[in-house]
Amino acid sequence: MIKVEDLEFGFKGSFTLSVHSLEIKDGEIFSLMGPNGAGKTTLLNIVGSFEKSYDGTVEVFGQNILDNKFSRFCRKEMTHIFPQPYLLNMSVHDNVALPLRFRGIKDSTRIDEVLDFFKVSSFRDKNALQLSQGEKHRVTLARAFVANPKLILLDEPFLSLDPRYKETLIQDLRARIKIDKATALFVSQDHNEILGLTDRIAVMDRGRILQTGTPQEVFTQPSSVEVADFVGVETLAEGVITGKQDNLCSILVGDKLLKSVSPFQKGDSVLVCLRPEDVILSRKDETTSARNHLKAGVLQVAPWKLEYRITLDCGFKLIASVTRQSVDSLGLKAGETVFASFKATAVHLIRRNTGQREEINRR
Amino acid sequence: MNFILDGLKEGMRLICNLDGEVLAVVKLSLFISIFATLISVLLGVPLGSMLALGKFRMKKLLIALVNTGMGLPPVVVGLFVMLFLSRNGPLGFLQWLYTPVGMILAQVIIATPVIIGLTLAAVQGIDPRLYQQMLALGASKRQAMFVLLKEIRLSILAAVIAGFGSIISEVGAVMMVGGNIRGQTRVLTTSIVLETHMGNFDIAIALGLILLCLSFTINLALTYIQQHKVRPL
Repeated sequence: MIKVEDLEFGFKGSFTLSVHSLEIKDGEIFSLMGPNGAGKTTLLNIVGSFEKSYDGTVEVFGQNILDNKFSRFCRKEMTHIFPQPYLLNMSVHDNVALPLRFRGIKDSTRIDEVLDFFKVSSFRDKNALQLSQGEKHRVTLARAFVANPKLILLDEPFLSLDPRYKETLIQDLRARIKIDKATALFVSQDHNEILGLTDRIAVMDRGRILQTGTPQEVFTQPSSVEVADFVGVETLAEGVITGKQDNLCSILVGDKLLKSVSPFQKGDSVLVCLRPEDVILSRKDETTSARNHLKAGVLQVAPWKLEYRITLDCGFKLIASVTRQSVDSLGLKAGETVFASFKATAVHLIRRNTGQREEINRR
Repeated sequence: MNFILDGLKEGMRLICNLDGEVLAVVKLSLFISIFATLISVLLGVPLGSMLALGKFRMKKLLIALVNTGMGLPPVVVGLFVMLFLSRNGPLGFLQWLYTPVGMILAQVIIATPVIIGLTLAAVQGIDPRLYQQMLALGASKRQAMFVLLKEIRLSILAAVIAGFGSIISEVGAVMMVGGNIRGQTRVLTTSIVLETHMGNFDIAIALGLILLCLSFTINLALTYIQQHKVRPL
């Protein structure tokens, strides 16, 4: 559906987007994620043919988007949703009917279908500008889908919505994309949005794609410190593989020996990555199925969203995520000693390159 | 003081009696100004939109020229139109000098920059993403521009009102291009000047009142259209 090759785009000399290769298949919901200034929206605008001054090849529906033919025939097969709803000063029905009007289609059954699907049919005759923010976003989605586009480009479409409303809207959006067998390219920084919607992800930073993969792969097996940082891997420690049996590696981190399932070889320098939710804390050194057990001193207990982040010192800095109830029952506070355990499969290793020490120290 | 009151009384009498000559002057004034406004709208709205949305070289220079055009002195416009339309001028073959067509041409030159400038400002006031959003929904460039213009119709009507206002009350250009020929190119403003010079203050006041009433009525109609169905804040 979308094929990008050797794309180079410069923006006033200060920012360069450089994508060597990217392919998005038919029917796929693909997300571009990364920090501000990563180039996600620029890439989306190039695919949407709003930005044309680039080098390289971008094909959509098998056609180069710079071809004149593309503008005429393919543009009407795709739609673009921006962060703001951009509704017009007219009724909800008339707003949703716009794409059909632009295409000269008079059949209104599709309008009723999408209005019902996105639960906005009850105020179809109301002025769209008088709706709440959440309702406006629903109307925007209904309008985007009314002409049955094959490709939907979404640029942070839920930016101004509260999390609960966002969750239901994401479910509806995913369902609609799958019903219509459409392909979607979605830009967001929000992990929950991406995990709730996406089939595959590309993590971008400073104009480059750092990693592509399924959400599971990217979130649990980041390929670099930058990706690990962005997907919420909070424990990063330098180590050396000291032994290997089958796929089970022994890694020396400081004076501690950790176990990890990994293809690395003895002698390799690695970075140990561990997600905070994979660390289990206890007061006693209990035997569990987890292969890694460490005695650790509590450095800090800090609230984080609905949970708590516990910073531990076990020869290296280890971050754990626990519930409020666990903090109370374990009596966690700075200066206490606890036991941290985590599975060998939860420990992800990245090959350590020169220069990464600074990045880790910065964290 | 009495001559003003006498003038007002005579003016009301002329209006009530619907004097044939006065009626002819009113008709010509309306015809020239409305026709010139229509042409200016047809030229100014698309040009203002294109100037706002287009990406091309010398755009800033063009905008500066339009802004200058918004304050063009009518007498200077009249002078140049007269020179161009005069027998030896480059457009002399058209034989439009001292005709209503020449007067319309002069008024179009005065009103068009006003309408272009105000349309440009209105279109540039919209979030450029709205235009992109329309294109993204499958609109052609023309369809997208039409939707935008509909969205800013209040500002466009304000531009029309300003354009009409700049020519209905204008005297310098129509005087120079039209020549104030009785029964042919005499309009309300030139008649007022003439009657004042001749000391016929009563007739001048009557014509002035008619001009004010006409201007008010047309602006009232345009304002009604503009404010109709405006959403309360």
